[in-house]
Amino acid sequence: MANTDQINIIGKGITIRGSMTGGGGLVIEGRVEGQIALKNHLTIESSGIVEADIRADELTINGTASGNIDASTKVSINQSAKVNGDIKATRVVIEDGAVFNGSIEMDVKLPDDI
Amino acid sequence: MANTIIGSSITIDGEISGDEDLVIQGTVKGKISLKESLFVEASASVEADIEVQNVEITGKVTGNIAATDKVELKADCRVVGDVRAPRILIADGASFKGNVDMDVKER
Amino acid sequence: MAATKEGFSGSGDSTIIGPSILISGKLSGDEDLTVRGRVEGELSLTKTLIVEPSGIVKANVQVRNAIVSGVVVGNISATESVELTREGRMVGDINSPRVIIVDGASFRGRVDMGNAEPRAPGERPATRPATRPVLRTQPAAVTRPTTIARPGGKPLPPAAPVIASKGDKGSDKPAPPPPPQPVLVGEGGKKKVLLKTKKK
Repeated sequence: MANTDQINIIGKGITIRGSMTGGGGLVIEGRVEGQIALKNHLTIESSGIVEADIRADELTINGTASGNIDASTKVSINQSAKVNGDIKATRVVIEDGAVFNGSIEMDVKLPDDI
Repeated sequence: MANTIIGSSITIDGEISGDEDLVIQGTVKGKISLKESLFVEASASVEADIEVQNVEITGKVTGNIAATDKVELKADCRVVGDVRAPRILIADGASFKGNVDMDVKER
Repeated sequence: MAATKEGFSGSGDSTIIGPSILISGKLSGDEDLTVRGRVEGELSLTKTLIVEPSGIVKANVQVRNAIVSGVVVGNISATESVELTREGRMVGDINSPRVIIVDGASFRGRVDMGNAEPRAPGERPATRPATRPVLRTQPAAVTRPTTIARPGGKPLPPAAPVIASKGDKGSDKPAPPPPPQPVLVGEGGKKKVLLKTKKK
């Protein structure tokens, strides 16, 4: 993958097995199995299927993902998404209609007397 | 002003405490201690020891009641237990079984 | 104080736990419950629990819907939905067919929405290992991409019976609560839920 700020797209017909790393943004419309480590934004479109442990800055899921997710800022699981796995992120958003099974780890500031 | 209402279909088994008025329409078992007023409404059923400032009972209470100010047993209430307060009012039509102790020094 | 009392009488059957109130023990009921104070122990409702920003619930919760804007420490099992609003903070596990987490909410725990495919309740992985839930053991689910289905046939099994049995406990009491009256409940919160509920 190019090491720039450009957006890379893995199209619908494409299947990738293995590990992917990179600095640019990535949009997955096809299928990826293995591992993904990105410094930028990863979007899994509704046609996209990802079976991988994912590390990214920010992650938007409209499609299907299974694997563990570690995002430095935000994970958005949108209405059409289906996600299985454990998520670690500062912010996690699950829209109504999304299917998610797994654990979520955010920083939770609780009152002292709890 | 905050107000707490325990609705008629609610059942609480445990302790309630607080610094505000409490209205009970449902069922409470256990213990109630409030720094303000308690209203036990007609639909309510309370099986608890009660420590409050004021209490007004129209429903059913089983348990001992201690109020720092006033206990009011309204018509149609049913109260079984000892009542201790500087001021106690029992209305015509109230049913009450227990001891009354008004010998409390007012602060 | 008698004056304030008049205000209460017109307020219908919704239950509000005010900000200075602490309830510890078991709380159950068939109406909406708004918590602005603190509830500790066990909480089971056949309707909606609303935890307002000042509210703290430290309890295992069984409800139909939960809307959390305050703090919840404990597990929530809902037959319909759980929503953490932007002020909501929760530590615990959520078991509900619909879970909504809004940006700004914070959460730590597991989410179990059940499976999109109907399953026998017994098969349900109620206690999954804390890490790595289904992952690669279930490639089948992955090959079916567009099963975004929120099917009507989705099982909502475990929570319902539990709530029912909790309710039964009420009838052991010498004086069971009076028959439920038509209820005008939980203004704001209720509406919110309806908006988002796709009734099956």
